[in-house]
Amino acid sequence: MKSKSDIHRDSKLAEIIISQPYIILMLEHFEVSLPVQDITISQICEKHHINEALFIAFTNLYCGKKGIPSLRLTADDAITITRFLATSHRYYLEQIYPEIMQLIEQMREQNKHHEMKLVSLFFTDYFKEVTTHLDYENQVFHPYVECLVTESKGATCKDNYIDYSVSQYQDHHDDIEMKLTDLKNLLIKYLPTYNDHIIRRKLLFLLSELEFDLKIHSEIEELILIPLAIDLENKDKTSRQ
Amino acid sequence: MKHAHILILEDAPVVREGLKSILESLRNIDYVATAGTFEELTHLMKRKTCQMVLISPHYLHSHQKQLQQLRSQYSNVKWIGVQYTLFSEDLMSKLDGVVDVFDNQDTLSTKLSKWLETNPDEISQGKENLTERETEVLKLLATGKSNKDIADELNISINTVITHRKNISQKTGIKSVSGLTIYAVVQNLISLDNY
Repeated sequence: MKSKSDIHRDSKLAEIIISQPYIILMLEHFEVSLPVQDITISQICEKHHINEALFIAFTNLYCGKKGIPSLRLTADDAITITRFLATSHRYYLEQIYPEIMQLIEQMREQNKHHEMKLVSLFFTDYFKEVTTHLDYENQVFHPYVECLVTESKGATCKDNYIDYSVSQYQDHHDDIEMKLTDLKNLLIKYLPTYNDHIIRRKLLFLLSELEFDLKIHSEIEELILIPLAIDLENKDKTSRQ
Repeated sequence: MKHAHILILEDAPVVREGLKSILESLRNIDYVATAGTFEELTHLMKRKTCQMVLISPHYLHSHQKQLQQLRSQYSNVKWIGVQYTLFSEDLMSKLDGVVDVFDNQDTLSTKLSKWLETNPDEISQGKENLTERETEVLKLLATGKSNKDIADELNISINTVITHRKNISQKTGIKSVSGLTIYAVVQNLISLDNY
């Protein structure tokens, strides 16, 4: 039985946003902008050509619900997902990481303890790792998934990926949240303060926002996109035999 | 952990700025502002709460009344004299304590902590109950040694090093080597020169 708090196709988007503002971030990743007036999930999905079940699954993740229900997804859904992920990447690289970097620099100017120099170096190195990780997905894995979709519709493009498979991506898919959690721990538990309470609070809020989004991002990749891509890959192999 | 806000009233710029820079490097001091005149100090105290004022004792002569007024207005603030020449005992007894310009960083930290009722080693004492062995492993890890190097140096197996690392991460909440390095610097286990 549906409980009142369950999100369903007739749920009003505005009501969900009011109880969970991070949904705005999810909408941005779907390239849907505010205001949403009284629009329901089914209406927004129809307007933006998004699979309703997929949209509801993402919304549940952003509302903090654990796990993903078994979804019947099509090749077109894979495109929706890669676009969602690519928009998230732009948000990471162009918005939130630079904002965090800026606050760390402000904190370093404010807080003369020498550890702050290390924090700045720590984050610069970490950001390089994240950039490499996301560039790989943008330039290799997502185009590969899009190619699998093209193949599923009868066209060919797989010749560009002779030696590539989803399993290589799985091997390559390392954890980019760990150092973020480390930084939060250092700021909350250990790093000495020097008149930096306000900057530190802002920084921790941003880090928590990023951590929240990255966690869902990985769940979407690992629990939805990878299984779907493997499925498309298997179908492609069968159709070639 | 208690962090202190300190104001300095000193007319000699060299002493004032020197003191400020030393105080800023102490762990239990959170904020330092300086004043060159008594009026500036009064203004600063209105704007920002502080726990301590470091004051050049000659102001006790020249601003006796104003000082009394401030002391009654901000009764929780400790007034500490900065002594670089001899002042009469009678004068100094009007203060809560005295530091000497010849005090080194450690002495200064210990003295100020006593008056501020903070512990100068607060951070270094809270090493999350790492065992001696875990601390040794952490130090080596933070100076860039691999699991194998650490195993060889401490004469233990690589598996034992891995177990120690897991325990360290569990206790500190920090998993990456670069994060642990910052932790080790904060805890004074290694100095920045090792980094």
